[in-house]
Amino acid sequence: MSGGPRIVSARWEIDDAWKLSRYLETGGYAGLRSALDMTPHEVHEEVRSATLLGRGGAGFPAGVKWGFCPPDVWPRYLVVNGDESEPGTYKDRILMERDPHQLIEGALICAYATGIAQVFLYVRGEMALAQERVASALNEAYEAGYIGRRILGTDFSVDVVMHWGAGAYIVGEETALIESLEGDRGMPRLKPPFFPAAKGLYMKPTIVNNVETLSNLPWILEHGSEAYTTIGSESSPGTRLFAISGHVERPGVHEVPQGVTTFRDLIYGDEYCGGIRKGHELKMFIPGGGSAPWFFPEHLDLPLEGKVVGGAGSMLGSGAIVVMDETTDAVSACWRLMRFFSRESCGECTPCREGTNWLETILRRILDGQGRPDDIDLLLDIGDNISPGPYPGPGWGAENPEPVPFPPQQTTICPLGPSAVAPLTSAIRRFRDEFEAKIAQGAAVSV
Amino acid sequence: MGYLDGFRVTFKKLFEQRVTQQYPAEKQEKPVRLHGRHVLNRYEDGMEKCIGCELCAGVCPAKCIYVRGKDNPVDDPVSPGERYGFVYEINYLRCIHCDLCVEACPTEAITESKLFEFSFTNRYDAIYTRDELLVDGDGRPRQLPWEDWREGEDEWTSGWMRATSPSGDVAFENTVAWSGELGHGIRPPEQGQRADGGGE
Amino acid sequence: MSEAPADIEITDPVTITLDGRQVVVQRGALLIDACERNGVYIPRFCYHPRMRPVGMCRMCLVEVDTGRGASLQPSCMLQCSSDMVVDTQSDKTRKAQEGVLEFLLLNHPLDCPVCDRGGECPLQDQTVGYGPGETRFVDEKRHYEKPIAISRTVLLDRERCILCDRCTRFAKEVAGDPLIDFQDRGSRTQVNTFPNQPFASYFSGNTVQICPVGALTAEPYRFKARPWDLEIVESSCTTCSVGCRVTIQSSRNQVLRCLGVDSDPVNWGWLCDKGRYGVEALNAEGRLGVPLGRGRSVKTDDETALEEVSWAGALRTAADAITSALDRRGPEGVAVIGGARLTNEAQYAWVKLLKGVIGTDNLDAQLGDGIPAEIVLGLPLATIDDACRPGSTTVVVSGDPKEELPILYLRLRHAAVQDGVNLIEIGPKAGGLTPYATVAMHPLPGELADLVRAVVGGGAGGAVAGVDPASIERARSLLADTDGEMTLVVGRRSLSEDTGFTADAVSVLVSAYDKVRILPALRRANVLGALTMGMAPGVLPGRVALAAAPDAYSTRWPALPAGRGLDTTGILTAAAEGRIDTLILLGADPLTDFPDRDLAERALAGARNVIAVDQFVNDSVRLAEVVLPAAGFAECAGTTTNIEGRILKLEQSTTPPGTARPDWMIAAELAAELGSDLGLDSVEQIWKEIAELSPSHVDLTWEMLSDPQNRDGLVARGDPLPGSVRFEAPEPTAHRALDSYSLRLVATRKLYDEGTMVGRCRSCAGLAEETALAMNPHDFERLGVEDGGRVTVSSKRGSTVIEARGEAGVPRNSVALVVNAPNFDVGTLIDANDAVNEVRVEALQSVAGETGSEGGS
Repeated sequence: MSGGPRIVSARWEIDDAWKLSRYLETGGYAGLRSALDMTPHEVHEEVRSATLLGRGGAGFPAGVKWGFCPPDVWPRYLVVNGDESEPGTYKDRILMERDPHQLIEGALICAYATGIAQVFLYVRGEMALAQERVASALNEAYEAGYIGRRILGTDFSVDVVMHWGAGAYIVGEETALIESLEGDRGMPRLKPPFFPAAKGLYMKPTIVNNVETLSNLPWILEHGSEAYTTIGSESSPGTRLFAISGHVERPGVHEVPQGVTTFRDLIYGDEYCGGIRKGHELKMFIPGGGSAPWFFPEHLDLPLEGKVVGGAGSMLGSGAIVVMDETTDAVSACWRLMRFFSRESCGECTPCREGTNWLETILRRILDGQGRPDDIDLLLDIGDNISPGPYPGPGWGAENPEPVPFPPQQTTICPLGPSAVAPLTSAIRRFRDEFEAKIAQGAAVSV
Repeated sequence: MGYLDGFRVTFKKLFEQRVTQQYPAEKQEKPVRLHGRHVLNRYEDGMEKCIGCELCAGVCPAKCIYVRGKDNPVDDPVSPGERYGFVYEINYLRCIHCDLCVEACPTEAITESKLFEFSFTNRYDAIYTRDELLVDGDGRPRQLPWEDWREGEDEWTSGWMRATSPSGDVAFENTVAWSGELGHGIRPPEQGQRADGGGE
Repeated sequence: MSEAPADIEITDPVTITLDGRQVVVQRGALLIDACERNGVYIPRFCYHPRMRPVGMCRMCLVEVDTGRGASLQPSCMLQCSSDMVVDTQSDKTRKAQEGVLEFLLLNHPLDCPVCDRGGECPLQDQTVGYGPGETRFVDEKRHYEKPIAISRTVLLDRERCILCDRCTRFAKEVAGDPLIDFQDRGSRTQVNTFPNQPFASYFSGNTVQICPVGALTAEPYRFKARPWDLEIVESSCTTCSVGCRVTIQSSRNQVLRCLGVDSDPVNWGWLCDKGRYGVEALNAEGRLGVPLGRGRSVKTDDETALEEVSWAGALRTAADAITSALDRRGPEGVAVIGGARLTNEAQYAWVKLLKGVIGTDNLDAQLGDGIPAEIVLGLPLATIDDACRPGSTTVVVSGDPKEELPILYLRLRHAAVQDGVNLIEIGPKAGGLTPYATVAMHPLPGELADLVRAVVGGGAGGAVAGVDPASIERARSLLADTDGEMTLVVGRRSLSEDTGFTADAVSVLVSAYDKVRILPALRRANVLGALTMGMAPGVLPGRVALAAAPDAYSTRWPALPAGRGLDTTGILTAAAEGRIDTLILLGADPLTDFPDRDLAERALAGARNVIAVDQFVNDSVRLAEVVLPAAGFAECAGTTTNIEGRILKLEQSTTPPGTARPDWMIAAELAAELGSDLGLDSVEQIWKEIAELSPSHVDLTWEMLSDPQNRDGLVARGDPLPGSVRFEAPEPTAHRALDSYSLRLVATRKLYDEGTMVGRCRSCAGLAEETALAMNPHDFERLGVEDGGRVTVSSKRGSTVIEARGEAGVPRNSVALVVNAPNFDVGTLIDANDAVNEVRVEALQSVAGETGSEGGS
């Protein structure tokens, strides 16, 4: 791991940091204590001035989001989104496994700042160890008086309930998560009117925050927002966790200052991933989870900042970087991603339910040597029907420098379907020749 | 010249080829697409093609077809799928042999033979029922006692198969989409229907 | 069938641009509705105006600019706001529509020729209208097992399903029976039931009607006809008295199906399965098409079988029987029960014959299973909308509406769940409305009035009639907030309890609150019409009291009854005692429907002659001297009156079987046979006479009723007029104190039973459930009974061995049985002259042996 500032990953090297005693030894619950010395409004202002951006994917400032709760509507709820299921993303899992108290402390600070007395911790169904660690941390914290009635002798009381999902990607979408928490089928709610801040869990104001976002709060409250904003860039202060997987020497989760580090630093830097595996070179990489359009070697010098990456036609999203070297088959990679989205579509909106499945079928057919010459245009047009854009338009192709427009336009309730199209579109644009070769090869075989 | 003109015409015609025939002893050969009495076809495995969908009855301009569908018995199905033509009647006092029923049929179940010589002595006989319309065990139309069948009239009962595109596209090339027919197997689709004469 | 949005009055106008023209719409209305009201139809599948929009199918995407640039938005989710620019014809919109249709058709099988929906299928229609010409899909479609039965009447073909959420939403939101839901996800998402739990909902047929494809089909209509075969007339359902608007669809003179019509004041497009499939009974085996008679006209030989006779002979026999009764005893010797099945016109014709020609007042349309006519006729009537007005309070003192008047239940449920209506349920035991009621109270039989007095007046604060004080207090405070304005849904709570208790309760409420309106929860088809037309003792057409008959009646009718006659219980008692010479059954089967079996049997045996007018030979008709076959539902035109007093047109769809005739014609011919001319020769002309004579129908002309604008019917005057029947507070009915051995009997109805019509409807016949003896589990120990164990129930009338079942919703110290159940006739336990019927329950030793010897009786 790196020598840069460590905010949320500070205790990762300590084997038993998940235990309360070790957590307290290493300065745990200091953030909560200092928060409790302030008024809730002051805590809120502190977080707002820290410009803590949401780490779930959309990158919306947490302090602003908290402010959306309509005043004087009670009760309110905090839902911690620990349903991390984007392909390539595994930072929240590590956070929950290695440092669950930090998350709990963050949740308590948020609850204090916004007047919440009930917190729900939604942990993805498949993360058995994380569930275990969070549960034991909760028990310890209850026993030690960090959760429950009159926390640390103040008037502040909070209940925290852990709930684990049944394993659905779509539940990472906040309204689907709320549905799932209520015991219904995990399907996104319609917006409007169901913005969680106004009408969320049980139709009450609800704040939904990501695990990493909340894990930043103890540090901010302990060290102050000014210290926080000195790290990273001006528009994206603080550090961020990136989960790098694929063809690099040292895949793993790395904490880096936002905005100042570039993809090249992260992938090739010795303190981080140590470059592409020996004897191979970079072909493409996914900059922010399976639904982000792909980046190529020319994008390596972009800084790890949401706005810049967005401007270049992709997103940082959940901070999952998948690196692929020249041995990777673009069509296969597309199919693999598409299969994920097709299976994880909740089935609610027609374009996503049927469209992703059709895209997967066509890609599978191309891989099986049954491709048809029209298939590439068909893929693009199906993509356009799920996510209307200017493509395929005249003169669109590798030589056209315009980026794939992102975020995509939607014909659906949530962005799952449309964002499944984006990586495919960017892949076809770059590697059309590979697609064509596959189809031609298949045609030769079948004749 | 007077009346001799008339004789001249008669005399001249004596040596020309005769166009009349000794009907009904002699009969003219009928075109392949002649619209005659209907038949209900079977698949090669003997199952009935009719699924009782009533599209023929719906399209019939003379309202001469009466069809009712029914669930196929599970252990002894009459046709493939869920439904079969339970009642099938054509009233030949009304039928105008326009062939729209053949056009409408989604399974090629109803087609027309070239038989048009059949007569009845009462109205009830003019209503052909399913038993009478169905082809027999070797795929040939049943020859009913009051019908005057001649050699070849029971062949190519499905001689004309449509080859049009569902959306009316002229350049559409038909492929054989239907199953084999009892006694005939799979027939090639009729070609040469494109506006430009192509398709062969 | 139409699912068009209801017209609304624009109270908050905004101007939007729709396809380039400016239109004024209601602010906040859904864009899809606003467009349709302005003549622009946006294709849709999942949107249904009577259900919450979900935006699932994405078919209704249109390009909308709300000020932030044009983008595709689902018009079923978007509320109209000012300066919206909507383009339903843009290239982007068209491409989205084609795209969504192509997606929907990917996995949709080409079943159209064999699919029941083919020809009336929204997916077909919209594919033609908005779809791409050809598909680009060359791969294998999704496959499932072809139709699976998810209930007795509904088949599900998951291949055809386009996952629009209509059926599942209906089951969850409208019917409250969430028995079907989505399973799996992605393109393998499917609708299905939960394992081993069929979609047994009283409203399951509606899902078939609203399915936008042929995924859900109705077993009774399966492959019966294609849409283009059907002749369609709009009429009203007469299975129960809610009067749901329906289209009757027939082919080749046979009614094949009924579909609900969206009638805003009544049924909102929904139907119950009993009404929907009840038409099957019309073509059932045993339907009468010719008159039946006996070899000899005098009942001397019971063995003489009923045989077919001519109409002339049958009418002669009937007339002779009436004449001989008149000769022997005068008009009092003739009595009639039944008539609730008839149309208003037929009821008037029969009343004119009986009261005006024969002169008897022994006439009752209710078979001892209703409530006193004075409650219905002597108090102002409410509409269903009154009972469901948002924010209002409605008191339900009746049997379970879900079992007796299912669509009224749907409306009340919607009112309670969605519109904040406070329901105070005072039922015989917990029923369909209980979960939705603000207060649910289930007083012991015989103590209803005590409970209502406690609620109204405030009592000692203790439990009354077995109801806890908190509920009483809550009900009192709710009623106190109403300004006296409330709707009282009143019906027969239990067949084993005297209606005097109900009358007491009503009088307590009416005297305590000044603006109480009555919504009678009486189940027989046209019972309101029957009572209004005078088919009750002491009543003349138009809610007029016989005692205060205006001159019009004596001038237009040949005669009038001398005095008030007998109700059904009175008629049957008199017949049993040999005081009735000729008993006419107008579509009545007292042997099945009258609560007291013993009395009904003695009465039919005691009457010298029985004349039956019916559609089937049932147990009572079997004893008749002469049987006249009547035309049934959809076989004759006329009007019917629903529980609100709403006059609804009935249309003729098919001809009656054989020589069966409309009931009014039978009355007219019988009158002619008796030497009198009723002067009635067409339905229209009868209505004209009603409108001239009856004070409550005075403004309702036939032309108004026939006007398509009035297809939802017109409400007849429901307020008491001078000369009307009056509701007087009755003498309080007495009840004995509970002794420690006896349990009070509750006899309630289920939707599906062994009645004349339901039993002959193929789809409903097998649905009648066997009854068990339901009792509060708290009583088990005291009586030494086990849940599921067999017990002996005995009353003073009879006894039976039956299974006991624990049901927490049954009041303690009472037991509940279902009327007309296939396994047991509760009528054999009931004495109609007892105010409260009591039974003793004894566990059979072989089963309940171990529970100890204490308790039991």
